[in-house]
Amino acid sequence: MNDNYFGSLSRRRIVFIVFIGFFAVCFAQLFYMQILQQPIYSVKSDENSVKPIYQLAPRGIFFDRNHQVLVGNKPSFTLRITPSTYDKNLSPYLEAILGMSSGYIDKILKLNQSYSKFLPRKIAKDVSFKVIAWYEENSSKLPGVDYVMETQRDYSFGINGSHMFGYTKEIPHEVYQKRKNEYDIGDEIGFGGIEKTYEDYLRGAKGIKYMLVDAKQKTIGRYEDGNEDRATIKGDDLILTIDKDAQRVAEEAFKDKRGAIVAIEPSTGEILAFLSAPHYNLEDFSKVTSNEVWRELNTNPERPMFNRASMSTFAPGSTYKMISAIAALEEGIIDSNYRITCGGGYQFGDRYFKCLHVHGSVDVETSIEKSCNTFYYSLVNKLGLELWSKYSKKFGFGSKTKIDIPEESGGIVPSTEYYNRVYGRNGWTKGFVISLGIGQGELNVTPLQLAQYAALLGNYGKAARPHFLKSYIDTKSNERYNVKPQYYDIGISRKSFDIVRRAMFLVVNGAGTATNIKMPDISIAGKTGTAQNPHGKEHSVFVGFAPYDNPKIAIAVIVENAGFGSTAAAPLARDVIKAYLQKGKKDEVKNLGPLPQQTEVSNAH
Amino acid sequence: MHINYKLQDRFDLAIFLPVVGLIILGLLAIYSSTLNHPTASGNFQKQVIFVVISLIVFFITFSLPLQSFKKFAILLYCISIFFLIAVLAVGKTVYGAKSWFGVGGFGFQPSELAKLGTILMLSYWLTYKNRDINNFKDIGVALLIGTLPVLLIMLEPDMGTSIVFLIITISLVFWSGISLFGLFVVLSPGIVALASILGTYAFIACLLLVVAVLFFFKRDLFNSITIFIVNLSAGFFFDYIYKILKPHQQKRITSFLDPLADPLGAGYNALQAKVAIGSGGFWGKGFLSGNQTQLRFIPEQWTDFIYCVIGEEFGFIGSIIVISLFLIIFLRLFKLSAIAKDKFSVLVTIGVLTLLFSHFALNIGMNVGITPVIGLPLPFLSYGGSFQLINMVMIGIVLNIYRNRKLHT
Repeated sequence: MNDNYFGSLSRRRIVFIVFIGFFAVCFAQLFYMQILQQPIYSVKSDENSVKPIYQLAPRGIFFDRNHQVLVGNKPSFTLRITPSTYDKNLSPYLEAILGMSSGYIDKILKLNQSYSKFLPRKIAKDVSFKVIAWYEENSSKLPGVDYVMETQRDYSFGINGSHMFGYTKEIPHEVYQKRKNEYDIGDEIGFGGIEKTYEDYLRGAKGIKYMLVDAKQKTIGRYEDGNEDRATIKGDDLILTIDKDAQRVAEEAFKDKRGAIVAIEPSTGEILAFLSAPHYNLEDFSKVTSNEVWRELNTNPERPMFNRASMSTFAPGSTYKMISAIAALEEGIIDSNYRITCGGGYQFGDRYFKCLHVHGSVDVETSIEKSCNTFYYSLVNKLGLELWSKYSKKFGFGSKTKIDIPEESGGIVPSTEYYNRVYGRNGWTKGFVISLGIGQGELNVTPLQLAQYAALLGNYGKAARPHFLKSYIDTKSNERYNVKPQYYDIGISRKSFDIVRRAMFLVVNGAGTATNIKMPDISIAGKTGTAQNPHGKEHSVFVGFAPYDNPKIAIAVIVENAGFGSTAAAPLARDVIKAYLQKGKKDEVKNLGPLPQQTEVSNAH
Repeated sequence: MHINYKLQDRFDLAIFLPVVGLIILGLLAIYSSTLNHPTASGNFQKQVIFVVISLIVFFITFSLPLQSFKKFAILLYCISIFFLIAVLAVGKTVYGAKSWFGVGGFGFQPSELAKLGTILMLSYWLTYKNRDINNFKDIGVALLIGTLPVLLIMLEPDMGTSIVFLIITISLVFWSGISLFGLFVVLSPGIVALASILGTYAFIACLLLVVAVLFFFKRDLFNSITIFIVNLSAGFFFDYIYKILKPHQQKRITSFLDPLADPLGAGYNALQAKVAIGSGGFWGKGFLSGNQTQLRFIPEQWTDFIYCVIGEEFGFIGSIIVISLFLIIFLRLFKLSAIAKDKFSVLVTIGVLTLLFSHFALNIGMNVGITPVIGLPLPFLSYGGSFQLINMVMIGIVLNIYRNRKLHT
């Protein structure tokens, strides 16, 4: 029989039999399950349901560059309420035991009303052991209340670091909508600083325990003896570039001041210390953050939440003079023998720009050493706005350094375009440019940019993008991955650097403006500055690097409303430099213990 | 009655009404499973919008001239392939597979469009003028048309959908009258290629099987040796391709071959689905009263596990009604394939029938625990915009074929 033709009868039969056959099998299976086996499945459904219990993964830990713990984890108890079985009359008792204001529990329950009644809500984090003991004794009288063990951040390692570390909090609704596949409601997510940038490394992976529960959600055993469970995977630990000692000294120094310190290793871009003062207490964020804490942080006139180190912008004052000097040397407008006479100021048109002293005959070296304004008023006039702003941009001003935390400002480097935009084509005069020569006027820089500028000066124009992450330890393989710095060279001749660096050396070690911080064993080079502040007393600024011959640390310090750079900012810079360099000598002999095997990766985020 | 008769003559209510019934049951089940759900509570409203749009598009498809489907076949197929390639490059990942385009708040799945494109294109190619189904060149092109989307969808990776494409391709070739020997020549290289990945023993066993079948057919020596060499090289070629793939691509193929090694706990879902359906009993636990559904023991119940909402809340009666409605649709389509006007219409009808049936069988089979857990939605019931839309377009086309069954051109 030949049935090899289009739509043949025997083939139609085969297809027909498949339909009827499948229908019959389904019918039989449904009959078997829903009629014959119904009692068995019914019991399973009522008493033997499998419920996945999710276990949060501990976040990765932060270490400093010498493998000292900066931020750790500690176990904590979280008390929860499941509305489907909870009795609201219990609220007053619970509130009294937990020390909450009356009506607090009701408020939290109302807040999450849209979620299923069967999902537990977190009522209090970091509950004391006493409360848990009380709960264990009375749990039979507390339907719908339970607790879980979680880990929370431990900040008890001696430094604060709030602005660089950032914090974690429960995932907000908008973020959750975008990352539904990765997060569940109530999960913690990094919310600022390093916690946010490296969230994907730090978070780890949740574990699942399958439990057998009855219809009232009471646990009656493990499903498949736990063979189907998935283990929790702890987040990757991060080894940061921070030096704990330098950071601690910086924080001590700023205890009663406002301002910022950023210290960078010039050859690698590794950030050694990063501080914005006043800071806030990260501990407050690891609990369910109360409204009072939020209100206090947000209304405090000192703005503790504001990251001054990488977001505040100000005119850098005399610390900026090296830009004009290098630009003029590079462009051949002056050489090291070029001199002017400072008679205490500079006449430009009908305006007189003042210098602090009468310096007499001044060359470029002395102009930096003694911080002569007259020299720079005249120099920037020769240089012109375009060249000045070109060299400013070469040193990274006017744009973000692309540091690995989300909080950063780019600052402003004025140019012809900028002035035209702000004042209109004829609305500004060349006089505007004169004050830029001494780092005043509409120039705006961040402490981070100044520190990177110091690093470039220290390392002859070769540096790397500033960053916090030195390496991370992959939890699964226990391998250490080193982050390769992103090196760059701004292409300025060694000759120009030699002149300017020499002058910066004399600022501290010659007859300059910061001889008060001269040290016998460490040669610091630097430059003081006083930043004009339209809202009050001037800010004290210092940039520098050390040791002079082979810089290991570059630093920028700003102390708000503290006047001259030499009096307030420079000694703080010296303390941090000392803490870092002198410890370095001691540390060479110290054994750090075995570290995991190392691998290079080019870019971690 | 006269008017009704005329309506039935142009519009097959025996297909349309069961489809509407299934859509309504689907909406009820979606409502029940997403009520109070923290993230999916908007799905019911969205699905209502999808249904309305799908019905409009259905009537448009129904009203088009029948010839237009033949005309658009090539274009539609090319667009589908383009989108399938594009989605691999820029698509977004949902449940571990790159198969969606995000447009505003809604997602669009190119593999849905490809279902339509592939059925039309295959039907067009297989029925064009005097096609000889047992000619190597003609069959080769047909296989190329069918397997290109399969390969692209495999890379997403969406195993269920690529299986559906394979079934469609084979059934259309089968319906076109390919000889048993031809079918063997067509299928064997694919099987040998897959076996080559499973290991040397599986590969050798498969090759021995090929040799045995070749002896059975007793064709001339030259042809037999050629076919054997084709099989052998298919195995080596696929193995070679596999080895030069990156590890994550290899993993996609192995997970494709081993559907039971589901990382998301397929075993758990299947068990919960069976408990839900079984505990429903004869009458069911009642609308919105199934504790398996309401306590959400089965994740994403409104897509692949929609059938167990029906099973739990509407019981044996509800479950039987659903599969009976499907059976009515299948039998009507089956009958239509015998009375359709031309070969192209017949093949399109068979293509749609195969598509709906393979979705139906694999989905219901998974829910009641008689087939492996392969993630495929249930036509007309499961939540999903592009899925609903393409299914209604298919129904529009077959009802269009029904309307034109007696006309001559």
